[in-house]
Amino acid sequence: MPQTLLRAGRRLALLGVLLLAGCATAPPWPDRPASAPSGRVLLDQVPFYPQERYQCGPASLAMMLNSQGLRTDPDRLKALVYLPGRQGSLQVEMVAAARAHDMVVYPLAARFDAILAELDAGHPVLVLQNLMFDWWPQWHFAVVVGYDAAQETVILNTDTREHYAMPYPAFLATWGRAERWAVVVLPPGQLPATARPLDYLRAAHDLESTGHPQAARRAYQGAAERWPERPEPGLALANLAFAQAQWRDAARQLIDLARRFPDYASGWNNLGFTLERLGCRTAASAALACAARLDPERFGSARLEGGSPATPTLPCPTVPACPATSP
Amino acid sequence: MSEIRSYRKPVATIMAMLLAIATLFSATAQAGMVGTAEMLQQQQTELDRQQLLEMLDQQAVQDKLADLGVSQAQVAERIQNLTPQELADFQQQLAEAPAGQDVVGIIVLFLLVFIVTDMLCATDLFSFVHCLR
Repeated sequence: MPQTLLRAGRRLALLGVLLLAGCATAPPWPDRPASAPSGRVLLDQVPFYPQERYQCGPASLAMMLNSQGLRTDPDRLKALVYLPGRQGSLQVEMVAAARAHDMVVYPLAARFDAILAELDAGHPVLVLQNLMFDWWPQWHFAVVVGYDAAQETVILNTDTREHYAMPYPAFLATWGRAERWAVVVLPPGQLPATARPLDYLRAAHDLESTGHPQAARRAYQGAAERWPERPEPGLALANLAFAQAQWRDAARQLIDLARRFPDYASGWNNLGFTLERLGCRTAASAALACAARLDPERFGSARLEGGSPATPTLPCPTVPACPATSP
Repeated sequence: MSEIRSYRKPVATIMAMLLAIATLFSATAQAGMVGTAEMLQQQQTELDRQQLLEMLDQQAVQDKLADLGVSQAQVAERIQNLTPQELADFQQQLAEAPAGQDVVGIIVLFLLVFIVTDMLCATDLFSFVHCLR
């Protein structure tokens, strides 16, 4: 118990200092090269739905989904995201509803210039704002559809106003009071401008774990193309094939992964267990042994489960040479 | 209130059983495989740790730590032993800091609160930390 207390005390101390620091004045408009010569960007293909009272959630989500070519409207989305008891929508439900439409929901880094970068790439941004105070919040969803660097305004589709130019300090204050929550909603495989490998893969994996494997696969493939120097998208794709009992497909992808990233121990490990499912015990043992040599601490005790078919159903694939030699 | 308390034990037992069953099933489904979620979590922890260590390389941070009488090597060793949760906490603090704010201050504050206090044995949370006394 005292440990918990101590820990809480530390957090509080940290928070206190940060809150004090938070009273500083608003930072200046980000100094970044303008994408348009005028310094003004407006995504006017984003449709606009004036919201009824308290229904910024369904309206904002409809604008986000329509802008990606999905046919839906606030009335249909209301059933998914509107909570009559709370007179509003929750972030998790907005995210879940977008995923239900097979979309990747990518949370932006909590920086204003991330929003600008996405707008430059033509992606509208869904933001949460707190229009009142920390101690008496009034939450509000809006869609950022543009900005004007010269005027220092953020252009929003919000409540009943289309293309409302909100002064930058006001936007920063209201957005900051909502923990700078901002997401882009894009079809799988179309990557956000500010996408970072692990964060994007996590967003894709959220699709997989909520029962949208096909969409997740397209997202993983997009990540594999964008970051060919990284092994993680390949492992995610192979794991997806494995989860769908497509052992041969998984094995083929993992062998390819082992060729391109011979030092990636997790890939060798998964290759071993996949080959086992194919009944290729010799090759499976060789792959596991390689994982153990590359990372003894983690994979040193990995053993086959013995759950493989007695004889391979098809000719076993050739496993690439292991880069690590026996200890 | 006391009525709720009387339910606590049976509820806890049921939850514990559910958890055990769930763990059992997920274990048999993918025994031995490195799952995508696990892989992402691990990579993230490595990335967070790397970023914190890189920040430690900044001269301003080192100066402040020297003022506090702690060596860079001691802090680096402690960073290696931070849990994923502690590293994630730090990333969160950094992300929530207002833009343009003195980042060195936040780093040093974090190091001070989470690390140096342990070294000075102000707390006794981490048995593996050697006291400076």
